[in-house]
Amino acid sequence: MLVVTASMGRMMAVILIVEDDVFIREIAEMMIQGWGHQTLAASDADEALVFLRSGMSIDALFTDIYLKRMVLGGCDLAHQAIALRPDLRVLYTTGNSVTDKTKALFVVGTQCLRKPYTEIQLQNSVENLLAA
Amino acid sequence: MSDIALGKKIVSDIAASDIVETVPSALIILDRNLNITSANRAFYQTFRTSPSETEGCLIYTLGNRQWDIPALRTLLESVIPHRASVEGFEVEHDFPTIGRRTMLVNARKIFSPGDHDGSILLAIEDVSEERAARAESKRNWQLTQSIVDTIRDPLVVLENDMTIVTASKAFLTIFGITEAETHGRRVSELGQHQWDVPALRNLMEKVLPENKPIESFEIEDDFPGLGRRVFNLNARKISQPGNHAHRMLLVFEDITDRKQRERDALSLTNEISHRIKNNLQVIVGLIAYEAKWTAAPCVQGYKTMQARIGAIAQLYDLISQTSLGRTVAVDAYLREIAKAMSASLLGNMSGIEIEVEGEALEIDPDRAVPFGLLVNELTTNAIKHAFPDGKGHIKLCVERVDDQIELVVSDDGVGMKDIGSAKAPEKRGSDYVAIFVRQLGGTIVPPDLQGIGTTVRIRLPLLLVPPESTERVAA
Repeated sequence: MLVVTASMGRMMAVILIVEDDVFIREIAEMMIQGWGHQTLAASDADEALVFLRSGMSIDALFTDIYLKRMVLGGCDLAHQAIALRPDLRVLYTTGNSVTDKTKALFVVGTQCLRKPYTEIQLQNSVENLLAA
Repeated sequence: MSDIALGKKIVSDIAASDIVETVPSALIILDRNLNITSANRAFYQTFRTSPSETEGCLIYTLGNRQWDIPALRTLLESVIPHRASVEGFEVEHDFPTIGRRTMLVNARKIFSPGDHDGSILLAIEDVSEERAARAESKRNWQLTQSIVDTIRDPLVVLENDMTIVTASKAFLTIFGITEAETHGRRVSELGQHQWDVPALRNLMEKVLPENKPIESFEIEDDFPGLGRRVFNLNARKISQPGNHAHRMLLVFEDITDRKQRERDALSLTNEISHRIKNNLQVIVGLIAYEAKWTAAPCVQGYKTMQARIGAIAQLYDLISQTSLGRTVAVDAYLREIAKAMSASLLGNMSGIEIEVEGEALEIDPDRAVPFGLLVNELTTNAIKHAFPDGKGHIKLCVERVDDQIELVVSDDGVGMKDIGSAKAPEKRGSDYVAIFVRQLGGTIVPPDLQGIGTTVRIRLPLLLVPPESTERVAA
């Protein structure tokens, strides 16, 4: 299911959220929209790539690493996303331990937000992401 | 004879006698009837005899006939008459004075001017110790080879130049090669060059010259007839007694099954961790949603609740990095808690800093949960109450004091004397602290209300383990 959510506040940035858990995804959308950003939501890499291959304006990708059965699906998606949109900013999230091996798979210069994250933690991470 | 010729002869005579007396080999001269005409000092010392007992004796009758040896008779009576010299004639005999000995005999006919019959010079070298060492060495290698062949893990013994001297039966069987195929070849040349790995080569080159063993070098590859396998390589220098040459023992441990079990366990851990964290994320999300519709005075309570959940999740991360029976590093754990609390309660622009000073101690996972929650409560209290102006410094410290552990959470804020009477939320926080301390079997040291800020000291029984007694796993 592809969902395009209109911004509830002032337009600051367009953030693509990729998260397979519907509740977590929608709460994240609600938080991000609450700060005035526009969100796009996808439940897996394939759905996200539809947005990324479209002509839509997207400033940042906020993706879970473990997507459905793909243990490192978010890492693969981020690299494909950067290949399509080199200026895209990337923020990962995961509940698993982030080992050096996992970090080595990250797009250079990106950050990872550990689950469970609070609203203020997500807000700080998004602000840092957009300010970079 | 000229003076020069006379001088040369004197020098030559002196030099010859000096040499004869100095050489370590026992020397004797026999006449054509095999009577001893002279012997050197080494001979008398070795065979514990004297010139008066020796000179003029038939060699066979010397020393209570101890030289009446069939092998020596053969040499003197059958070999020497037909040859000018014999070298390396080995005689093993039980001498009454010195015991069983192996002697290496060199014999040479010598002729003086005018002496047509000539004499026989015998040089006798006692090689008993060398032969015994060689025999011992041979026995050791036979023993080593039999041990090598009984070990289930394949192994090879390498020369200094990295060529194979010995390969165990297990090595030959597992890798499907013959002994002839291994002998004199380097390990890197075997099979499909699976062992030809630069990092391994570098390590192997240091084993002998630097006596630097290789511990657990892992190689994963496809092996003919075996399929995909993971081997753990260990190597160390080995020495033989009496032999200065060193060799290398290289053992190949097949850890394929173990690695698969580890990978399965890791995969399961990741899956469980993913589900638990997502569930916690749902709870945090629910709290965040509720907080949006809650009156402002209550929002801080929701945030505190999120921080408590975050602390448990953070702890779960550290514990999930450890296996059963292992421990959690307290200093690293405190830093993780401080980092999480700074992010969740303080934010980027906060003027409050949290510093950690932790001794290298470890805690068992069962007690790590209440310990972490205790730190979380005390730190949350400091953040909430110590700094009305939003600026300050909190220090988390854990150290061993005699047979106890002291956890100190201190701040440079306004201090407890300036805080008003206990309100309901603070009461809950201190109740939690008391519960966690009781759970850990500790006591709260009565606070000193003098001085700057607030310092809470908690003494806990020595449930934290010194690092040297356990394997440290968390970083």
